[in-house]
Amino acid sequence: MNEKTVAVLKQAFKEFYFKNAEKIITPIRMKEREFGYMSFDKVMVRHLSFQTEGDLRAFLIKEMPHSVYYSCAYYYEPTFAMDEKGWKGADLIFDIDADDIPTRCKEEHDHWICKDCNFMDKGKRPDKCPKCEGMRIDEKNWVCPLCLKATKDEAIKLMDFLLKDFGITKENIEVYFSGGRGYHVTVERSALEELDQLARSEISDYVSGIGLNLESLGISKRASYEKMQRMLPLANDSGWRGRIAKFFSEMEFECYNSNDVKDKMIYIYRKMKHKNFENFVGEVIGKLSTKIDAMVTTDIHRIFRLPNTLHGSTGMLKRRCDDLLSFDPFIDAVALGEEPMQIFVDHSPKFTLMGKIFGPYKSERVKLPLMAAVYLIGKGLAEVD
Amino acid sequence: MGIEFGLEDLAKYPFMKEAGDYVKKLSLRVEDLGQEDYRPAVERAKQRVMEAIQKNYISIEISEPIVELLSFPLALMLVKAMNVEYIIHRYSLAEAIRAESLLKEEKKSIISYIFKSTFNLEPISVKHELFDLKIKLIEYLKRATHFHEPEWKLINRVVDNGFVYLKTHELVRLIREEIRRTIYDRMKGVSLPSMPKNLKEAVHEISRVLPPRSDKFQRVTPDKFPPCIIYTLDLIKKGQNLSHYGRFLLTTYLLSIGKSVDDIIDIYPRSPDFNERMTRYQVEHIAGMRGGRRRYKVPSCRTLATHGLCFKDKILCAKIRSPFQFGKKPLFKKKSTGQIRE
Repeated sequence: MNEKTVAVLKQAFKEFYFKNAEKIITPIRMKEREFGYMSFDKVMVRHLSFQTEGDLRAFLIKEMPHSVYYSCAYYYEPTFAMDEKGWKGADLIFDIDADDIPTRCKEEHDHWICKDCNFMDKGKRPDKCPKCEGMRIDEKNWVCPLCLKATKDEAIKLMDFLLKDFGITKENIEVYFSGGRGYHVTVERSALEELDQLARSEISDYVSGIGLNLESLGISKRASYEKMQRMLPLANDSGWRGRIAKFFSEMEFECYNSNDVKDKMIYIYRKMKHKNFENFVGEVIGKLSTKIDAMVTTDIHRIFRLPNTLHGSTGMLKRRCDDLLSFDPFIDAVALGEEPMQIFVDHSPKFTLMGKIFGPYKSERVKLPLMAAVYLIGKGLAEVD
Repeated sequence: MGIEFGLEDLAKYPFMKEAGDYVKKLSLRVEDLGQEDYRPAVERAKQRVMEAIQKNYISIEISEPIVELLSFPLALMLVKAMNVEYIIHRYSLAEAIRAESLLKEEKKSIISYIFKSTFNLEPISVKHELFDLKIKLIEYLKRATHFHEPEWKLINRVVDNGFVYLKTHELVRLIREEIRRTIYDRMKGVSLPSMPKNLKEAVHEISRVLPPRSDKFQRVTPDKFPPCIIYTLDLIKKGQNLSHYGRFLLTTYLLSIGKSVDDIIDIYPRSPDFNERMTRYQVEHIAGMRGGRRRYKVPSCRTLATHGLCFKDKILCAKIRSPFQFGKKPLFKKKSTGQIRE
């Protein structure tokens, strides 16, 4: 990014924070959290702490950071070195990112460029360039409404696990659009905050459907029909057992037509045989589980983008979704204004912000509203020349 | 709760605070324990420890509740007097197993009372075809992550509205580790008075039945360890901190010579930053029982040199490439084919 572009971005961010300072939401127990930020020179600063809302707002206007972060963890001494902070607990956070969800649209809008020979192609980044075998490959991932719809669907599934299985109350769960490529689901004010890394990996495996064995459903090679009838779940049972039974009760299988879900599962099990049935249940779990980033949930020291601050790579807000179903990131999270700005766009697919359609562009100089210009600049697709 | 806990119950579960209080009220003095009246309690204490050492099990029969109850703190003294770390571990575990077998047969109300009073855990009875009790999700997770069999994974349990459903024996098994830890911590806290003759004799008698530690481990005895391993063990013995890579080396090496995960964890407690849970996780990870299920190999001598952990013995280490080969005959000799490889 050239100097002129950086200066323009900084100015845009500064103005935004100046005008919207009162909208910055400070997280609960702010004094116990670590804060950090990344400057537009990509320098990361961590181990900061703010005592008041005012301190934080003044800091944002002064520093104009590319990104601002806060820790999920609560510490005795947030400004000390990591080993000396004194961990008290941490919010339980789930990150759902478009990168982790395979969608067909990616083949269309994602592309990569070989830094050695400039060869470019659509789709997922290969390990090495097919032309020159170079390993230095730059990924240009785009995010479209379809990608974000897929991440929202995962967030909705996750909410079901949190509310029904884990019994977390709605008031203690916040869902945020991350400002970039997905959603953050945060559980605060819950006894689960004291869980360590190992326990969190169990939570993560649970919602991701990792490690479920058929015995827990009541199915085993040696079990009689009667035993399986006794052990198998019903469609309205709770937890994973109920989810899987519900799937079986609703699926069509050959000409089986009884309403007895246990009998149906045994019938299908015996028709498919053990191994195939196991694989089939694996596929069912794949459909019913949520695709979260396990590394994020199990990391008890991680820092996350601060709500209501700008995402340096999009100029959009990390924004709380009061109504997840109706939330539209390309409207509700757009933060910057419509002041016209001239930029040079290297390339860009078609995109929509605030209901306005932009692009596609290819090596051209265009005048765009600030929100769209910053969106392309942040993604490294355009510059101020 | 309206549960009356009698002497017999305390004798069954002597690790409970109530049992300790009962014994305290008797205001016994150590010197009294030499008297003939206490002989049965001393005998039972000795039996407890012997059984734990020899069979990894302590009998559950109770001849006389007061004898049984008194024998527990006495047994703690005997084990403490022996001052052998692995006997302390072994004894705590055997006591926990004894409690587990008794608890499995208890009424739900008794179990709930014991768990509430001793472990601050409140199981709730449920009317369910497959389960007897439920506990809070957080209480389950805090304990179940110690277990590695698939049935303890959260995803394989019935989880509903913040509770995990369990059968009685499963809940008891879940708590066993905590009983073990309670007894272990109690023992660590026991202050050892000067003991009367009969107790000293009991300690002596028990010491004579100590078995060799582990047969597999015996095959590669510490005097046959390569210098790098001796170095890491030395640091641990001195209570000094061993680097992350040093721990990795020691763990992979001990696994390769057939030591069990538990034996390896036992080696670490003297480190200043010891955390049993984390150590277990890491050792099991290296053993291929966790995560990617990959069993890690002992690093090569060259890699150890990079990490400053190679203390090469000019003669004994001359022909080896990995500490694992130390002191062993080479399996095969490289044949010279005369070819030049570039």
